[in-house]
Amino acid sequence: MPNTDNITRLLTRQDIWRGGSQSSIRRTITTGHKPLDRLLHGGWPVGALTELLTQQSGVGELTLLLPILRHYSGKEQLCVWLDPPYQPYAPSLAAAGIALHRLLIVRSKSPQEWLWAAEQSIRSGALLCAWNGKQPPPYKALRKLQLAASGSNSAAFLFSSSKTGTAPSPAILRLDVSSHRVNCLSLTLRKLRGSAPGASIQLALGEASSQRTMLTQLPVNTLYPQIQESVHRVPIKQPCLQLHT
Amino acid sequence: MRPHRQKKTGNNVRTEKEPNPPQSQWLYLYFPLLCLEVLPPTTEGQAVAVICRQKNRHQVICCNSQARIWGIEPSLSLSTALALCPELITLPREIKSEQQGLQRLAVLAYSFSPVVIVDKDSGQGLWLDLTGCSQLFQGYDSLLKKLQLQLQYQSITAFSGIAQSPLAAQLLCQQHFQTQLPASIALDSIALSKLALSNKQQQHFNQLGLQTLADLQALPKASLSRRFGASLIQTIALLTGEKPCTLERFRPPEEFYDLIQNPQGIYNKESLLFPMKTLLQRLCQYLLARQCYCREIHWVFEPLMGSAQTLQIQLSGSQNNWSSLLILCRLQLERLELPRSIEQIILHSDQFVDAPMTNMDLFGDLYSPDKDHALIDSLNARLGTGALSQPVLSAEPLPEQAGTVQSLSNLASSTPLASSKRAPQPLWLLTEPALVQQRNEQLYWRQPLTIISGPERLCGNWWQSEQQRDYYLACDSKGARYWLFRQTNNGRWFVHGLFA
Repeated sequence: MPNTDNITRLLTRQDIWRGGSQSSIRRTITTGHKPLDRLLHGGWPVGALTELLTQQSGVGELTLLLPILRHYSGKEQLCVWLDPPYQPYAPSLAAAGIALHRLLIVRSKSPQEWLWAAEQSIRSGALLCAWNGKQPPPYKALRKLQLAASGSNSAAFLFSSSKTGTAPSPAILRLDVSSHRVNCLSLTLRKLRGSAPGASIQLALGEASSQRTMLTQLPVNTLYPQIQESVHRVPIKQPCLQLHT
Repeated sequence: MRPHRQKKTGNNVRTEKEPNPPQSQWLYLYFPLLCLEVLPPTTEGQAVAVICRQKNRHQVICCNSQARIWGIEPSLSLSTALALCPELITLPREIKSEQQGLQRLAVLAYSFSPVVIVDKDSGQGLWLDLTGCSQLFQGYDSLLKKLQLQLQYQSITAFSGIAQSPLAAQLLCQQHFQTQLPASIALDSIALSKLALSNKQQQHFNQLGLQTLADLQALPKASLSRRFGASLIQTIALLTGEKPCTLERFRPPEEFYDLIQNPQGIYNKESLLFPMKTLLQRLCQYLLARQCYCREIHWVFEPLMGSAQTLQIQLSGSQNNWSSLLILCRLQLERLELPRSIEQIILHSDQFVDAPMTNMDLFGDLYSPDKDHALIDSLNARLGTGALSQPVLSAEPLPEQAGTVQSLSNLASSTPLASSKRAPQPLWLLTEPALVQQRNEQLYWRQPLTIISGPERLCGNWWQSEQQRDYYLACDSKGARYWLFRQTNNGRWFVHGLFA
């Protein structure tokens, strides 16, 4: 008689992909953005490694995670930031509603320490946001993290450069994060278990203003776009070519 | 006419039963081999005796069972003992470690009874008031068995006596450990010679033919005090428990200090772990007795010669089990350069916090703050204290002072400042503002930048070098946003943050 208990346990594992059936048992946490939730079939996968691929920092990749950070810190759970590329700026984090005392910044000195710290954080059930430094971690290291994540009850995020996007990764979700316009993210699904890659959405994070100011005109718009909302609704008049004869 | 039926009231039927006041139970523990057992262990199967100098004469004060086979017993002189057994190992008495050992046993006993009294006269005994402790341990017998196990685990020989008063328990102490309450307390059979009385009184008793306490109590009380003085009445009252014991109760000391000596020396880290484990177990026993957590522990590894190596371990709290403490110490130990041979290991801790009363989650939530503390401790241990930090808010006008990253001292929640509707601020801050190049009215930092909005003037530092900055929001061609500022005094541009 087959041991059905073992089989059920095997099937509930996060890293088992059951081809036909849409993984209904998968645990997710909402991303806070409805279109993205739809794209990811519910939200950020829990108990799995998520890889966010960016070309450069500053496009709004962290803003994307603010809702989940708020969710975790609101539940008094620890959020570990491993090797962030810059110093997190406390006033804006606090303004975003994140409890600063639940945020832990960890600096590693070597790839071994990085991997160890990441694994420990995942195993302790904290939310991990890890940035890999100059060299991307090898497949084996990522596999280790994915295994640790599949046994935990928490989400783990890894920010890596989109140059490493061609390398194979054991992450359950890989998402390309880029931006072509200010305050507008374009997210491309590179890999998601049970879903075809290539789907892409545009996500507006805030007011997209197209107003630009030349240095010589400074200071011109002394007010901020969010305050002068009504002004922005007015289409900017295109300068038209005038011929003088 | 039908008789009026009355309801029966049971109020008067019930009789109030007066509960008997619980008889007090005192346990006296006597450690006959304490001065031997606190010394570093010797090879098994060898005759060992502890000697001390008394009146210009070296005397055996304590010996193990092996030595007893040879006929050695306490109060024998050293030369006689050596004549009886030439292979006898003699150790000098160490009163300080005896006191520490008794202190340790008192901490152990404190986890069995709230009232522990150290027998300062003999220096080898403890009193425990077991009254009311049976409920917790489901009966006195199970309590005594657990206590015996604990003592055996610490390899301490103990004799015990149980009676209704401390003095009687001491007098009725037997040559073995009782694991059951005596069926009847033979208070009457206590010989009068055992009571600490003056020779004159002792003679008086002999003349009267009084042998035991029963003989004495048979006499009328009034005549007793007249014949033998009021002090005897008091002693009898103490014996029978009529008068409460006024000895000072034991309180766990304010700081923990313990050491293990190893005269042979320890040469590698692996064998260091065993004494460390013992010390941590004692620490945990102490923490349990004081109901607190420790925040910091200090290790001192002393070699025979040369300077000692110290190791300080920060704990974030809520770690009261020795196994996780040992793992942390092991992690730290790996990075430590130790002296070649270690003779003495000291564990010291004086930073404690009261253990919070935590409630269990009804539904067994998987997440617990203990896990956080464990994570922080292990990260601290492996990566060093400097590796961990936290963003901290402060009410300063300049961004580099308003939002700093500080090393982790305590996980206190900071109160968020009142947020005013201000211009958007970035999530990333550059630790040092980076200079922006300006080429033909075009700002350039890694890429060409364009100003979107601004400025917001932030001033600060007026007391030394005043800073006046105009902050702007800028973006590059790829849509990344930057936080730029222009210094008003020299018009130079800097990048100060990224809107990630």
